[in-house]
Amino acid sequence: MNSEHKEYRSKTRIYADILNSILKQGGKSRPTKILYGANLSYDRLTKHLDQLVELGLVIEDKEDGESVFKLTNKGRDFVLEFVKVEKFAEAFGITI
Amino acid sequence: MTFPLLTLLAVIMEFISSFISFLVGYYAMKGYRKSSLRGLLLLYWGFTILGVGILLRGFTITYVEIMVGHEGSKQLTALINLAGLIYSTTQVAAYAIFVADYALQSMRATNERNALLGTTVAVGAATFPVYRLFFIPWLELLAICMLSFVTVNAFINWSIKKTSESALVVSGFGLILLSHVFFLLLPLRETLLFVGQAFQLAGFICLVGMLAKVSRTNEQ
Repeated sequence: MNSEHKEYRSKTRIYADILNSILKQGGKSRPTKILYGANLSYDRLTKHLDQLVELGLVIEDKEDGESVFKLTNKGRDFVLEFVKVEKFAEAFGITI
Repeated sequence: MTFPLLTLLAVIMEFISSFISFLVGYYAMKGYRKSSLRGLLLLYWGFTILGVGILLRGFTITYVEIMVGHEGSKQLTALINLAGLIYSTTQVAAYAIFVADYALQSMRATNERNALLGTTVAVGAATFPVYRLFFIPWLELLAICMLSFVTVNAFINWSIKKTSESALVVSGFGLILLSHVFFLLLPLRETLLFVGQAFQLAGFICLVGMLAKVSRTNEQ
């Protein structure tokens, strides 16, 4: 779908973007880096990160007094599986 | 006449096509569970219903040709007609779901697009009883119209994405569409049944090829 207007992102897409951003940082990342990677505002990122922690896809840790989010095995599996689902859906013209 | 061998081939092709249809449906359901995308749920229902229909037809051919033989009585002809109607209806229902799926996607992108629906034309009956399973002209025409819509949309998707997966999907739907054209032309030549089935199977093989490519995504 090649629309020029701002695209709507589903919740799953946002989760995948956040997790992918952490994965690209080597499996752990500070919120500021995730912000840029997932293209989200700070408030929305915090809300989604809380939900991801609840789902067991990431864990929150402290390093030098700052929050760091680490990808769990479940989170890693989610990202890998999401890529497959995205490819499958896109083959049929369905956008996630 | 070497019909039993051809029947066996026909049944095998039907069962393989049905299995692939279920496989694509299963993958769509797996994707739906992960993403909650309505489009994937529609794909699941479409391919599952299609798989059930093809399986039904496979079993009916087996029953008619292998168990009973094709020297049909009136009751047998009635049974075949009923099975053919059920099969064709499930098939049209499955294609209607695909049409709804693509229409949903098109509406997201462009807001409006009208689906074309077929007209009814009376064509002469097929000469051999089991052909009635493949040959209900107005339902075939409806299936062709719906699949044309689906194939054109799959082609548009491929022209935008240019991925090998979308190419396999457009090829798959295109070949299945051609199979229905051959089924519609059955009164001209009986062997077109097997040509149609071969095209149908080739279409499903394209879809399974797409699944194989998607499954290998993270290994590349």
